[in-house]
Amino acid sequence: MKKTSAFVVLPLVLAIASPLFANGTKEAADSAFKPSKDIEWFVSSSPGGGSDIYTRMISDIMTRGDLSGGQSFLVANKTDGGGEVVRLQVSRVAAGAQADHTLLTFNSGDLMPMVKNTANRLENFTPIALMAVDKQLLYIGEMSKYKSFAEIIAAVKGGAKVVIAGSKGDDVATYELLVKELGFTQSQIAYITNDATSGAITSILGGHVDLVISKPAAADQYVVAGKLTPVLALSKTRFTGNLAGAPRLSELGAYKDVEFPVWRGVVAPKSMSPAAVAYWSRALKEVSESAAWQSDYIGKFKLQPAYMTSSETAAFMAEFQATYLKSIGK
Amino acid sequence: MDRKRSPAPFGVNQVIPIAAAAMAGVFIWLGLGRYGFWHEDKGPLPGFFPVVIATAMLIFSAFAFFASFKEAAPSWPRANWYVVLSVALIIGATFLLGLIPSIAIYLLVWLRLYERCSWRATLVTFGVVMAIVVGCFVLWLGVPFPKGIIFELIFR
Amino acid sequence: MENIQLLMHGFAVLFTVQNVGAMALGAVLGLIVGAMPGIGSLAGVALLLPLTYRFNPTTAIIMLGALYYANMYGGAFSAILLNIPGDSPAVMTALDGYPMATVRKRPGQALLTSNISSFIGGLVGMVILTFTGPALANFGLRFGPVEMTALLLVAMTSIGWLVGENPTKGLLLTAFGILLACVGMDTLSGSPRYEFGNIYLLGGISFTPFVIGIVGFAQVIKLMEERSLQVKAAADKLTLRGSMVTRHDLKRLLPPALRSGVLGTFVGVLPGAGATTASFMGYAAQKSFKSEEPLGSGAIEGIAACESANNAAAAGAFAPLLALGIPGSGTGAVLLGGLMMWGLNPGPLLFVNEPDFAWGLIASLFLANLVTLLIAWGVIPFLIKILSVPTRLLIPCITVICVVGSYSTSNSMYGVVVMFLSGIVGYVLQKARYSTAPVLLAFVLAPMLESNMRKSFIISRGSLGIFFEKPISLTLLVVLSAIVLFTAARPLLVRAGLLKSKGAGQ
Repeated sequence: MKKTSAFVVLPLVLAIASPLFANGTKEAADSAFKPSKDIEWFVSSSPGGGSDIYTRMISDIMTRGDLSGGQSFLVANKTDGGGEVVRLQVSRVAAGAQADHTLLTFNSGDLMPMVKNTANRLENFTPIALMAVDKQLLYIGEMSKYKSFAEIIAAVKGGAKVVIAGSKGDDVATYELLVKELGFTQSQIAYITNDATSGAITSILGGHVDLVISKPAAADQYVVAGKLTPVLALSKTRFTGNLAGAPRLSELGAYKDVEFPVWRGVVAPKSMSPAAVAYWSRALKEVSESAAWQSDYIGKFKLQPAYMTSSETAAFMAEFQATYLKSIGK
Repeated sequence: MDRKRSPAPFGVNQVIPIAAAAMAGVFIWLGLGRYGFWHEDKGPLPGFFPVVIATAMLIFSAFAFFASFKEAAPSWPRANWYVVLSVALIIGATFLLGLIPSIAIYLLVWLRLYERCSWRATLVTFGVVMAIVVGCFVLWLGVPFPKGIIFELIFR
Repeated sequence: MENIQLLMHGFAVLFTVQNVGAMALGAVLGLIVGAMPGIGSLAGVALLLPLTYRFNPTTAIIMLGALYYANMYGGAFSAILLNIPGDSPAVMTALDGYPMATVRKRPGQALLTSNISSFIGGLVGMVILTFTGPALANFGLRFGPVEMTALLLVAMTSIGWLVGENPTKGLLLTAFGILLACVGMDTLSGSPRYEFGNIYLLGGISFTPFVIGIVGFAQVIKLMEERSLQVKAAADKLTLRGSMVTRHDLKRLLPPALRSGVLGTFVGVLPGAGATTASFMGYAAQKSFKSEEPLGSGAIEGIAACESANNAAAAGAFAPLLALGIPGSGTGAVLLGGLMMWGLNPGPLLFVNEPDFAWGLIASLFLANLVTLLIAWGVIPFLIKILSVPTRLLIPCITVICVVGSYSTSNSMYGVVVMFLSGIVGYVLQKARYSTAPVLLAFVLAPMLESNMRKSFIISRGSLGIFFEKPISLTLLVVLSAIVLFTAARPLLVRAGLLKSKGAGQ
């Protein structure tokens, strides 16, 4: 039985533990790393959500492309504390084999509440890679009173009040930028936060709000079916395909374009060894170049591919965090 | 907590309304002070709903408190708290030994030493429960149970 | 009648050995996962999703559909036999199921009642879905924040039926449940609330461990008092024949099951409601109808009302999922994720682009319901053997299941701690003669009520008028005031001799 052996071995282990671990990490840094046990991959949101699909897509491609060294990925969804608990846990994994086999899905929508509501910071993680960037658009529904965003601007100037529905985190941040750029107040254009974009889309399909903010993936089929029409691209360039009709803000008057890129990345514990960081960063690069990723994820969900290496990602995320902290006055 | 059946006028019947009132107080205090009640454009703020409910709870707890003196005090058999104690011990032991070993020890100790079951009954029950836990939860559903400090030290 | 033709075509697509095999496998796995406390249908479907990758999309989704249904059946098993709800919709099943199995010593009948009602609920839901389809989904869409607020207010009055003998205590616990549900992240403002700086509380009190604790663990603590009493189910009742329901039972079960089936389907269609809400409402609605035995004492009507409602809701939730691509529940979201992985986009285009698949799925849900009923029926004799296990052996077993189950909901010891504390609270409250059912109802409904109410006020800019402007919410508010007025006036009417007293029956 495990427990009896544990008791017998304990004193022995305590005696030899520290030199052993020191050796282990040194060795890992010297030689090339290869996964030697199952990889625990944490996701801070529920199964079936955007982050979950993203994670399972990557781990699936890695397993099939033999990038996991024959080990399997144990994807664990931990949603306690709005995801803060698992983020804290990953940031605290001690150096060693465990740290080299722990990954965490990390998006801008994760970083923002983390730095806003807790003392946990990006510096407690090792960024591994950035995989893709998502951007939003504003859509009107079939029952919307207004037919274009120019009409909405005019109506609000004329005293009308407009309601936008959207998801949490990055959607709210984009909305706040937009309202500021337009020079309106948050009561002239109000915002309803939903748990997920699907909730926001439900309310516009029922005609309960005027506008919905969404990334292309979640709204795609409604656009194809003609139930939603994009009216504003929250991006510095127009979108392509069936979203090409949506103008940028600068096309509608003396405004600057409003853009709040939503990036999707992967991070690891701060204590992950450099060799392991290099390994995972390279493996994710191969994923990002694979045909499956390009067509089944990037192409299908209309993201922009944006692979970055570990150090590039670190710099990018750090700048994002600094800008965000400044914007909330922290 | 293991008081015997007593006609004491003050007991759990009174403690519950008092605890409820205290909880309501905290929720009202934080709700009004920190989370905000009403915004003229946005309507209710995060504190609105809890404050309204907590106020109602305060009123109910007052009624419950005054009604409580007419009720018979419940008895608290000591044996019941052994279940509570054992789960507390399982939780504590989990950090050291891991969840599965803690449960295994608990089952053996409880069945053999506390209930004084025969070895046969003990082992059969032990086997069935562990088969469900290890077979279904660990092997099939892949629930990653905590392994505890000691295991981590050995097999890292 | 075009729908029927399409459905028949769906059945034709369905009948291959592989599909039926996958369905049976899904049903068995779903029953096991469903019966296991802590692993609800959400986690069950999510966990088993990878298993289905090996099949073609139609077979895979048929298996998932069966699994989804079977989960709903399975949740009732542990609720009835151990008083530990296997998943949250089974909370209400435990209220009558456990007394029926133990006090009335009819465990087989209790399980069978739950199976048959589940079947009826699912069937009613699927029939409504087949005939109304997208129209049903569009009906759900008309319930925006304003309408949902009004509806939830009506639903909240059903707590009045659950408060038991002492209204003050019931209301006190209702408020208690609501306040507990307020802890954690406030979605609308995106800020933490009542988390007391604790990172675990930030995510709120998880419902499943809370239920396992306040119902299941509290029950184990209480069982210690009875462990010397040898309550054994009679041996002859532990067979398939011994667990048959009588014609009279069937007659009692049918009306509530049919009623709840219709009610549950509509609740399932509404945005964000789901099976748990449906079973609460089904049960509460049953309180206003006649039951042969008082609800809560092991009445067949009680089991039938909530089991039928939650399966109907599971079926109803497919309407927005398939026709609009909107998942009505967490489980729906996982199914949606699964569908998308096979390149199928549920939504307005599904019925146009993939009619084979869409109708195949609907047909498979019909069949899955039947297959699950048969399989569930078959395992009853084995299941009820649990009741012949002496209480003193059962106590440590259930304790372990409570711990393991509450850990598994979020893979975290936090769940175990929540279970442990709520178990103690539940036990103490029960000893002090508080009924804990209102806590659970409040815990489920209050967050929806709050968020919908606040969304309504954002839309109306803080004006109450909006609730009276919209026809659906106005109607519901009229219903609400009628219920409140009637309840308030009832004692007066009784005194005036205009109305019969509800008497001992309730």
